[in-house]
This record gives sequence, C-alpha cells and structure tokens, in this order.
Amino acid sequence: MLRIALLSLAHDRGKLVASLAGVAFAATLVFAQVGLYAGFLQSSSAVIRHVGGDVWVMARGTAVVDNGERLSAGSREIASAHSCVERVRGVVLSFQALRKPNGSLEAVQIVGFEPSPRYVLPWAMARGLPQDLHAPMRVAVDRLDVDKLAIEGDPIGAELGIGRESVRVAAVTDGIRAFTLAPYVFAELDTARRLTMLGADQVYYWVLDLARPECASDVIASVGRHPDLVARSTDEFRTMTEEYWVAGSGAGTALGFSALLGLVVGVVIVGQTLYAVTKEHLKELATLKAIGASPVEIVSFVAWQAALLAFVGGGLGLVMAFGVRNWAVDYGLTIVLSGPVLGVGCTAVLAMCALASLWSVRAVLALEAAEVFR
Amino acid sequence: MTRVLVRSEALEKTFGEGELATPVLRGISMDVSAGELVLLMGPSGSGKTTLISILAGLLRPTAGQVELCGTRISEQREADVTRVRRRHLGFVFQSYNLFPALTALDNIAEVLKLKGVPAREAKERASRALADVGLGARLHHRPGELSGGQKQRVAIARALAGDPALVMGDEVTAALDTQTALHVLEILRQQVSSERGILLVTHDRRLEQFADRVIEIEDGRISRIVSGGANAGEAA
Ligand SMILES: Nc1ncnc2c1ncn2[C@@H]1O[C@H](COP(=O)(O)OP(=O)(O)OP(=O)(O)O)[C@@H](O)[C@H]1O
Ligand SMILES: [Mg+2]
Repeated sequence: MLRIALLSLAHDRGKLVASLAGVAFAATLVFAQVGLYAGFLQSSSAVIRHVGGDVWVMARGTAVVDNGERLSAGSREIASAHSCVERVRGVVLSFQALRKPNGSLEAVQIVGFEPSPRYVLPWAMARGLPQDLHAPMRVAVDRLDVDKLAIEGDPIGAELGIGRESVRVAAVTDGIRAFTLAPYVFAELDTARRLTMLGADQVYYWVLDLARPECASDVIASVGRHPDLVARSTDEFRTMTEEYWVAGSGAGTALGFSALLGLVVGVVIVGQTLYAVTKEHLKELATLKAIGASPVEIVSFVAWQAALLAFVGGGLGLVMAFGVRNWAVDYGLTIVLSGPVLGVGCTAVLAMCALASLWSVRAVLALEAAEVFR
Repeated sequence: MTRVLVRSEALEKTFGEGELATPVLRGISMDVSAGELVLLMGPSGSGKTTLISILAGLLRPTAGQVELCGTRISEQREADVTRVRRRHLGFVFQSYNLFPALTALDNIAEVLKLKGVPAREAKERASRALADVGLGARLHHRPGELSGGQKQRVAIARALAGDPALVMGDEVTAALDTQTALHVLEILRQQVSSERGILLVTHDRRLEQFADRVIEIEDGRISRIVSGGANAGEAA
C-alpha cells in the first residue's frame, strides 16, 4: 500500500509541491516560535546561568534577577556564615542611565562580577578578553548594541558616560542581549560599584559556591532566618526569573499563539491535499476493499501520504528554521534549536499531519465496498 | 460432478423502510458452477447490480441465503466475508477502477501484495497475467496511456492474477465498441476452466454467444433461464 499511496500522491506534482511547501512553511513557523520561546527563556536567565554558583542570596521580596535591591553592608558575613560555603562572589545588576554624545539618555544594565576560574564572564567575546576588564573603569558592551549606544568608529577605547562616571570600552561581547533589551555593560565588581554608586562592600547578590551541593538547603534555611535576606538555589532563581519574564510579559502566550496559527494553516493545507487525493481515488479504494483489503490497509493509503508530507515537509521546515535562526542572530533574536525544542516541533508537525488526515480517514472508512458496482 | 461456486436461495432485498420500502429482489434462487460463464441480463432497474453485490458479499440480503465458495456468507461476520472475497473472488468493473498513478504492472502487483503474495512473486505473476490478456508489451504503461479496451484487459488481468475461483463483472463491456467488447469477452471466455466460473451482468445481447447460461431477471424475479451460444458447438 506504501507504493500505491506515495505514487498516487506524487502523481499530481502541483498539488504535491504546494502541500509540501505548506507543511514546510508551517513547520518552519513552529520550529522558529518554539525556538524563540526557548531563546527567551535562555536569555532572560542568562546572567544567572553564567554567573552560576549553588545558592543566590538576595533582598527579601526579589522576584526576578533584573529587579534586585542593594544589600546592606554586613550581608556578606551572614551569607557566608555557614561552614559549607566555600566561596562568596558579589554580583551587581542594576539599571543606570547612559548619556549619549547628543545628550539623550539610554537605560543600560550594569553587570558587575568577580572573576572566577570556573565561570567565564562575560561568556561570549567578539573582541578582547575578559581580563581586559581588569583595569579600573573598563567595561565591555555588545557588538549588537554599538549603534544603540551611539558609539562612533572603533568601539574599543570608546568613552561612555554612565551616571557621573566615565568608562572606557575595553572589550566587545558577541551577541549577549538582555531580555529587557537594555544594553548590558559588563564590568568587574569595583568598577560596577562606582557606576551604581555602591559602597565598598555592597552588592545586589551574593553568589555562594558550596563545598558540597547537598548542604544547599541548610545554607538556604540559615540565611533565611535573617529578616531582610532570602537565599534560593540557582535553579530556583533561574526558573523564577524565566517565569517572570516569559510568562509574566505575555511573550510566551504571543509565541504560542503564532505557533498555533502556523499549525492551523498547516492542518488546513495538508488536510485539503489529502482529502483531494483521497476523493480522486475513492473508486479505486472501494475496489481494493471489494477485493479484500482490510480497513487498516485502506486507512494506510491516507496514513502513508500524511507521513510523507510530515517527514519531507517537516524536514524542509527544519532546514529553513536553521536558516531563520542564523538570520535572526543579526537582529539580536536568539532562536534555540536544541534537542527538546526540535522534539516539541517535530511532535507538533506530526500531530498536525495526523489531525489533517482525519477527514480523509473518515471518508475511506465510510466507503462501502458495494459502491464499486455503482 | 461440477463444483458450485455461488448459490443463492430465496434471496430478497428491500431498500428503505416503512412507506419508502422498495423491494428490489423478490426471491431469487440461482447458482454458478466452475466451468461455466453465466450472464445476468434484464432491463435497467431490475436489480442485477444489487444481486451481484449480494452474491459477492458486498451487500447483505434482507432475507435468504448465499453460499459463496463453500461459505454461508449471509451468516458470517464482515471480516470473514472479506477473507472469502480475498481468497476466491476477482472483480471487473465498467469503469476499470485502475490507479492512474500506477503502471499496468503495479496495478496488478500491488493488489497481489495486498493478498499476501511476496513482492517478487507478485511482479512475476502480474507480468504473466498481462501477457495472458495480450498486454505483454504494455507492462509499464499507466492507465492514461492505454485505450479503453486495454484498460479493461489490465483490469481483467488484475482480477485473474489472484487465481480466483469466481470472477464477477458488472457491465464490463459497456464502455467499449463492438469489436473491443467481443475481444474482451473472448479473453474472459478463455479463462473459464474446470476450476473457475465467471458471472457477468450485462445489457449486451452480443455477449450471449460466449455464455453457457443466460439468467434473465425482471422486476426482482428470475423471468427465464436460457442456454447461451457457448453450448451450441458442444451439443452437436
Ligand atoms: N442503495 C440503494 N438504496 C435505495 N435503492 C437502491 C439502492 N441500490 C439500488 N436501489 C434501487 O434498486 C433498484 C435496482 O437497482 P440495480 O442497480 O440493482 O439495478 P440494475 O438492474 O443494475 O440496473 P442497471 O441496468 O441500470 O444498472 C433500482 O430501482 C434502484 O433505485
Ligand atoms: Mg447495474
């Protein structure tokens, strides 16, 4: 039946090409939307993931990494009190105003960090090295933000006015973009403190590296006894942040809706093709039924065609999605085509073709063998 | 002792219910044996197609019995009737019903595969069946590249390739000119053997010369049974 089904589908070239294009289009849309969603999740929590650590200590009431509060002096001692804490790293994450040469202001997000051998920060460099931020008042900005920050000519060495301070760009990061779209300005902790007007021992977060991961809950509980502080595992804080941005902002709903739209378009196109091909072959299918083909064999006429459209169209869509991903990077959009994303996408495309074949399956099941003599 | 391939007893069929009930068959008892070609004739609307559909197990009678190749199909479940058809029957239709995308060879081989014949053997048997109907040179033509008579011969080859005991056809010559129709019947006639019988529904009086018996039905009843032209030579 495989041969009958595929040859019958391929017989009408125009219809085959049109429906493959339809499936490919729908699949591209689905892969890209799901990938975009995964990209949003990833970029919203990128700072947490790349700073790493086991436990994050923050001001009570902090719901998302981008809206932290400065921690009071003395919080470092509380955060590091537990014997399991091996290392404490300060993190600054704060919005500041950058004054462009023409006098207008641009909100930027200062990312202050302590260099660590285990975690490379910033995590993707286009020019320069993380060590270049070591000298005082040196920062890194992203290559995608150069225009937004009104930097003219070579960004390395350019001077930026942030708050009342002036810093120099010493390195350029490679496609690191914030979910908030405010440009990241990476700096080591001392520089970041000056840019955000923090005192010598002040930070927004203390990130704890533990001697043993098992003692995380102990550490979290002991920090939690302080009225102003709360500690969370890195994973928990990452999930909170992702949910805050992606669910809370409606971006997830919007992406889900366009993916659904793509699937609906796909169902209609595939459904029409399969139904047209089935309609054209009802006499022949009734003949097979009369000759003694079982209902399963008759249904497989439709099923093989649906499978071909799903695999070939879906495959084309996948290739196109990789193309879209590479193109989107230049616009600062991250489309993540990871294993889980492809899994969700492929499942959606298969479901789409299965759903689209239902009309035809119904038609062939309703077929009376006696109709062959009519 | 000739083997009876299909036999009906007091067959009745009524379409619709209550006021709309239309009795189409009103007690038909008949049979077809191996070694004979039987024609079913009668005016339009007399119930010929309905009768052959019931005999083939494609339609259930309202009353009466059908025994098809040793099985009382009127008492069997759908799947079992399907199995009987698969094993013992071949069909030929007025409109050929060939898959347009498949070559003559594939149209036959794929049906054999559905019947459980291995792919290689299916191809061999298909090309032999096509040679038997004089289409040995047209194996790789698609239906669109064949004439009406050639298409009908492909359909006959398809019906015969499964080596059925009984071949049934409805108006198999209706779309063909006289010469082609006679040629198609000659081919069918040659396939009648001590193991095989053929039952054809037709309007076409020219076909009587190929038949052993002609069963005429009128208004759902058998009006008469006459012997056909095929017996004339033997009787002498
Ligand atoms: N499914 C059905 N429902 C209702 N009536 C039917 C159905 N099938 C056939 N009939 C009726 O049964 C009668 C006999 O039909 P049938 O097709 O058996 O005639 P026929 O002898 O084959 O005619 P023809 O020579 O024109 O093909 C007709 O009056 C037809 O309208
Ligand atoms: Mg008829």
